[in-house]
Amino acid sequence: MGRSIKKGPFVDFHLLDKIQKAKDTKSKAPIKTWSRRSMITPDFVGLTFNVHNGKMFHPVFVTENMVGHRLGEFSLTRTFKKHGAHTAKAEAK
Amino acid sequence: MARIIGVEIPPQKRIDIALRYIYGIGPTNAKEVLARAKIDPSIRAKDLTEQQLSQIVHAIQDGKYVIEGDLRREIGMNLKRMQGIKCYRGVRHLRGLPVRGQRTQTNARTRKGPRKTVGVVRNPGAKTGIH
Repeated sequence: MGRSIKKGPFVDFHLLDKIQKAKDTKSKAPIKTWSRRSMITPDFVGLTFNVHNGKMFHPVFVTENMVGHRLGEFSLTRTFKKHGAHTAKAEAK
Repeated sequence: MARIIGVEIPPQKRIDIALRYIYGIGPTNAKEVLARAKIDPSIRAKDLTEQQLSQIVHAIQDGKYVIEGDLRREIGMNLKRMQGIKCYRGVRHLRGLPVRGQRTQTNARTRKGPRKTVGVVRNPGAKTGIH
């Protein structure tokens, strides 16, 4: 079941504060956040977020298309491993 | 031979079944369309009169069903959007893996296709030591 429209999209308050601050100071510095569960709202557009994936912070530049997704969707938590040739080229990656 | 909306040629089947050959019309929509057009679903497609055919076409067009090319395009656009923004679902589509959190250690053959065995290829440049 989806979330009730009455409540509006969920965004962590501490993240909202940071966004407000960035908007006020017009700073384009990336915003560091652990709040992967926050929904991207239109005010996020144009900002860069460093979204934690459990290990490191993944830079995510928010565009209009991303509105409605959650921040965590853009910072993958698993490394994609493939079978195959253990050649120097593949190892370098 | 009856044609409904372009190239659909449903054969000797009941019209409620034949309508499902249109991409985007399934059992529920087929029933709805026939109710709108006030046509008995048990008629065979070939027995429909011209007038009944046009009633069906009207019912589909007025009912705002997204079908055929439009539907395919819409789905394609959704995929492209998700892949363009590199969100998790988009990445899974790109890699041809299950999108909705299913396991992939076993199964997932629908998405992954036929099994392909990958042998170990040793690095020719690797140092050879005593094993």
